[in-house]
Amino acid sequence: MRNVGGAHRGLNMWLVQRASALIMALYLPGFLVYALVVGPLDFAAWHGLFVPLAVKVSSLLFIAALLVHAWIGLREIFIDYVHPMTIRLPLLFLFGTLYLGCLIWAADILWGVK
Amino acid sequence: MKFRIYRYDPESDAKPRMQEYVLDFDPQGKKVLDALIAIKETLDESLAFRRSCREGVCGSDGLNINGVNSLACVTALEGLKEPIDIRPLPRLAVIRDLIVDMGQFYQHYKAVKPYLINLDPEPENERLQSPEERAELDGLYECILCGCCTTSCPSFWWNPDKFLGPAALLQAYRVIADTRDQATDERLDYLEDPYRLFRCHGIMNCVEVCPKGLNPTEAIGKIKTLLVKRSL
Repeated sequence: MRNVGGAHRGLNMWLVQRASALIMALYLPGFLVYALVVGPLDFAAWHGLFVPLAVKVSSLLFIAALLVHAWIGLREIFIDYVHPMTIRLPLLFLFGTLYLGCLIWAADILWGVK
Repeated sequence: MKFRIYRYDPESDAKPRMQEYVLDFDPQGKKVLDALIAIKETLDESLAFRRSCREGVCGSDGLNINGVNSLACVTALEGLKEPIDIRPLPRLAVIRDLIVDMGQFYQHYKAVKPYLINLDPEPENERLQSPEERAELDGLYECILCGCCTTSCPSFWWNPDKFLGPAALLQAYRVIADTRDQATDERLDYLEDPYRLFRCHGIMNCVEVCPKGLNPTEAIGKIKTLLVKRSL
């Protein structure tokens, strides 16, 4: 059988990877400045950083962007190096599930901060 | 001068070997191809390699010289570390010694339909372009299809059958960028796939080795921009 590639895929993944990088690039300096303004970071101050809802939301967005970015990067690596579909598909599923779990866990941690 | 040259005849040799040659040769002003021709004439007539124009125009003597893909006919001998290691272009099947099977490479070239598609009736004279429109093709049309870029690209090494490679993608953009071509949408359809174009990770080995100083990565970036533009 001829080896065919699917049309109309690839662009979205590439775009989402750029978009997630943008979110991270905006969040990280912003958070750094915010933390510096708050001052010396002992445990109480660090804890206090995450009390405002805006920080919770932006931090969760950042973590979501990080995980999406990482998953697409892994997909690229698997497409390049892991050729048998019987291994590639379970790997993509495994890391997809793992990262989704991480996201829910991160949400739980962030909203646990009172 | 000392050379270590890749030798392999798939019909009689069990595996490839590197053969040493010591050539009494003044490298002043000479190119690697001059040395190869001298080795073939004076030391070993069984050595096989391709060459034609011997001045960087035909693109038939793309080789891996001291680990870098380049054209033997334009690579100066002076300054090369000895022994000079000469191998065939990576990742292509060896037919004999330094001669590789370019079939896969040409197949990708063919796949991007490297010719103008224009269904309008032929005008009386030529199809005209403004100087600005013509300038868009600079840095694209000069490609001589030597294969140095594609065979230096790790993405091509991992998926040589599916990823088109920098040379074919540069040619794809050459026709996309041409105002006389009418098949832009079909061309972009063909490239919008996880493999054909999007295996490019911007490694830029292609830019580094191109003997004509072209920039396939930039052309690939422009195709990506067009893909984004039409999807929004």
